[in-house]
Amino acid sequence: MFKLHYKLERRAIGLTLAIIGAASIGGIVEIAPLFTIAETVEAAPDMRVYTPLELAGRNIYMREGCYACHSQMIRTLKDDVDRYGHYSLAVESKYDHPMLWGSKRTGPDIARLGGKYSDEWHVRHLINPRDVVPVSIMPAYGWLMERTLRMDDLSSQLAAQRAVGVPYTGEMIANAAADAYGQANPDSNAAAAVAERYGEATNVRTFDGDAQRLTEMDALVAYLQILGNLIDVNQKTAAAETE
Amino acid sequence: MTVPISHETMVWIAKTFGLLYLIALSIIVLGYAYWPSKRKEFEEAPVTILNKEDRPWQ
Amino acid sequence: MLSQLTKGERQGALTILLAMSLLGVAIAAGGRGDPIATHGFLIVILSLGMAVPVMRHLFDPEPSSARLRSYYDDPSKAGIVLTMAWAAFALFIGDWVAWLLVNPNLTFDGAWASFGRLRPVHTTGVIFGFGGNGLIATSFYVMQRTSRARLADQFSPWFVLIGYNLFCVLAVTGYMLGITQSKEYAEPEWYADLWLLVVWVVYFILYLRTLSRRQEPHIYVANWYYMAFIVVVAMLHIVNNLAVPVSLVGAKSHSLFSGVQDALTEWWYGHNAVAFFLTSGFLGMMYYYLPVRAGRPIFSYRMSIISFWGITFMYMWVGSHHLHYTALPQWVQTLGMTFSLVLLVPSWGSAANALLTLNGAWHRVRDDATLRFMMVAAVFYGLTTFEGSFMAIRPVNSLSHYTDWTVGHVHAGALGWVAMITFGAIYASVPWLWKRERMYSPALVELHFWLALAGTLTYVFAMWNSGVIQGLMWRTYTENGNLAYSFIDSLVAMRPYYIARAIGGLLFLLGALAGCLNIYLTIRHAPLASDAEGSQSKPLYGQPAGGSLQPAE
Repeated sequence: MFKLHYKLERRAIGLTLAIIGAASIGGIVEIAPLFTIAETVEAAPDMRVYTPLELAGRNIYMREGCYACHSQMIRTLKDDVDRYGHYSLAVESKYDHPMLWGSKRTGPDIARLGGKYSDEWHVRHLINPRDVVPVSIMPAYGWLMERTLRMDDLSSQLAAQRAVGVPYTGEMIANAAADAYGQANPDSNAAAAVAERYGEATNVRTFDGDAQRLTEMDALVAYLQILGNLIDVNQKTAAAETE
Repeated sequence: MTVPISHETMVWIAKTFGLLYLIALSIIVLGYAYWPSKRKEFEEAPVTILNKEDRPWQ
Repeated sequence: MLSQLTKGERQGALTILLAMSLLGVAIAAGGRGDPIATHGFLIVILSLGMAVPVMRHLFDPEPSSARLRSYYDDPSKAGIVLTMAWAAFALFIGDWVAWLLVNPNLTFDGAWASFGRLRPVHTTGVIFGFGGNGLIATSFYVMQRTSRARLADQFSPWFVLIGYNLFCVLAVTGYMLGITQSKEYAEPEWYADLWLLVVWVVYFILYLRTLSRRQEPHIYVANWYYMAFIVVVAMLHIVNNLAVPVSLVGAKSHSLFSGVQDALTEWWYGHNAVAFFLTSGFLGMMYYYLPVRAGRPIFSYRMSIISFWGITFMYMWVGSHHLHYTALPQWVQTLGMTFSLVLLVPSWGSAANALLTLNGAWHRVRDDATLRFMMVAAVFYGLTTFEGSFMAIRPVNSLSHYTDWTVGHVHAGALGWVAMITFGAIYASVPWLWKRERMYSPALVELHFWLALAGTLTYVFAMWNSGVIQGLMWRTYTENGNLAYSFIDSLVAMRPYYIARAIGGLLFLLGALAGCLNIYLTIRHAPLASDAEGSQSKPLYGQPAGGSLQPAE
C-alpha cells in the first residue's frame, strides 16, 4: 500500500533541504548559547526545589490555564518593578519545566505573590474572586475545595522532574506522598520530615483551613504562597553587585 | 546540559555567523531569481496555473 | 467515497482502524484513574465508528481505472467541510471566552468551562482545527492542479486528514478534561504530539510523491510555501515538545527545557508557528487562488521567490521579541528586534505582489466578494506584518507587551489575513470541487464578507484601544512619583472594550455561519456546472477568452 517506488525526484528533495538549511540556522544561533549560559551567570546554591505539594499545585495551575491571564515575569521596567517587586531573575525559573512566564496580563503579574496575602484570603478568592475583589473577572474555582488531591502519582511526578534535571533526591521521590500530606498537616508526624528535606523556611500549614482532607485547594495555595520565595532575591542581587 | 564550548565563544559565533549567513543567503537567492537561463522558467510558471483544463497530464 | 478506494486501500484502512481501536483499549485500560483513559475510550469509539462503514464496503468491486484520469478530490471536499465545522465551533468558543471576560459567571460552574481551559480550546480550534484543515484541504487541491498530477495514492490523504482531525479532537477535549502541557499554542500532551508527528510524516511523503509525478520540471511557488509549512512545522513541533512523560499510561509530561531555555524555545516555536503555519501555508494558498480567481498571473514571480526565502530564513530569528525586558540575555532580545524589522521587507513583498496582481482586475474585486476576501486578506497581511515589526521594537514593546494590544494584533492577523484568505479560497474551491456553476447564494457570500470585515475591524479597534489604555495606565505616575492607577483601575477601564470585542467576535461568527449555510446549500442545491459531465474544465470566474493572460510585468 505505501508504495514508495515513485522516485522522489531531485528538485523536491533539494527544495526541502534548502528549506531546512535556511530555517534552522536562526533557531540554533539563538538557542544554543542559552545552554551554556548557566555556567557563567547566576548560580543559586540556596535555591530549593518545589515540594511535592507545591509541584502538585503547580500542575493544577497549569491544568486550569492560569498562565493565560497571569504572567510570572516582572520586566526590568520601572513601573513593573514598582508595581510587582524586584524584577524576575533567570535563575528563579531554573526548575520550572516548563516555564510559566506567560504572555498576557488580563490579571496582574504573580511572580512575587507568595506571602503577600494570607492563606485564608487565597481560599476565599479562589472560591469566589468577587467576594474579595468585587470587580474581578477571574473565574471561580470553588470546586478545588471539593476535589481530593491525587497522591498516587506524586512520586512518579518527582521522578519525571528529576529525569529532566531537577535535583530531587531518591529520598524525596520515595516520600513524595507523605511529604505532601505532612506539609498540609502541621500536627501530623509527617510534618517535621518536610522541613528537614526541603528546608526550615518551607510553609507547613493547613492551607485550605481544613486539616481533615488534602484537597486541590491545599496544593494550589501552597504553590501560590511560594511564588517568588524560592530564593531571597534581594540578597541575591546584592551579592551579585558586590562581586 | 554542558556543552564543551565556552559561553563567550558561543555568543561570538551567534553574533557574527548570523550576519554572514544573512548576506550569503541574500546573494544566493537574488542570484537564483535573476539567473538569465532561469528567465523562461519563471515567466512560464505563473501562467501555467491558469490553464483551463482540469485533469492530470497522464 | 469508500467504493472509490481500491480493495487494498480499504483493507489497509480497516487494519489501521482496528489497530487504533486496540491501542485505544490499551490506553483506556492502562490509564485507569488518569484522564488519559477518557482519550482511550474516545479513540476506540472514533476508530470503530469509522471501521463499520469500511467493513460494509470491504467487498465492493474495484473502482474503474477511469478515476486515474481525474484529480482525487474527495479528501479536499471532506477537508473543506471539516474546516467550516471547526470554524463554527472554534469561533463560537472564542466569542464565549470573550463574553467570559465581560461576565465571569458564564462558566455555569463547570470546571471545563472556565476561561483558562476554554481559551486553548479556542486557539487550538481556530489555528489547528480551522486553519490546519483549510491548509490540508487546499494543499491537496493545489498540489494536484499545479503539478497536473493526481495524488500519489488514495489512502494516505485520508490518513492525513482523519489522523490530523483526531489530533485536534484529542487536543481540544484534553484541555476541557484538564490535559495540557501549558505551552502556549503547543498545549497537547506528549501522546497527541507523537500522533501528530506520524500524521505529519505521511503528509510530507505524500506531498513529495505527488510532486514527483508532475511533468513540468518547475515546481510552482505555491508548493514551496506549502512545503515550508510542512517541513518547518515538523521541526518546531519536535523540538518544542520534547518532554518526559510521567508514565506511559498517564497524560502528564514534564517539558525537557526549563526557565530561560524553555522560554526561548517556546517563543521560537510560538512565533514560527505564526510564520510557518499561519503565514507560509496561507501564502501558498494565496499564490494559487488569488491569481486563478482573478484570471491573471502573479505580478512578479521572482518577487514571490525572493520573499519566500526571506520569510523562511528570517522568521526563525525573531521569536525573542516576545521576551523583551525579561530575564532573557539582552543580545538575544536585540537580535530578535533587528530581524523583526528586516522581516518587513519580504512580508511587504508578498502583500504588494498580491495587490499588484489585482491591477487591471479591480472591477472584479468590486463585483466578486470571493476575490474581495482575498484582496482584503492581502491588505491585512501587510498591515499586520507592519504592526508586528513595530511592536517588536523594544520601547514600543514595553508598552504593548502583556496588554490587549497583542491580542488585537494577533486577531488582525488571524481574522483579517488567515480567515479571510481561507474563506476566499473555500468560496473559490467549493463550486470547482462539487462541479457547480457558482455558490448557491452570491448574496450570502457578500453578507459573509461584510460581517467578517465589520467583525474584524470592531475587534481590532477595541483591542487597540484597550491595549494602549492599559499600557499607559500601568506606567502612569502621579506627581509624587507613585503609580497613578491600581491594576484593578485598569481592569475596570477595559470593560467597554471587552464588550465591543465580544460583539465584533459575534459578527465574525455570524458571517462564518452564513458561510456554512451557503456551502451546504451549494453542495445540495446549486445547479450543476453546464460542462460538468464531459469536458472537466474548471469554471474560472469571468475567465476572459484567451489573450489577456500575459504576465503584468
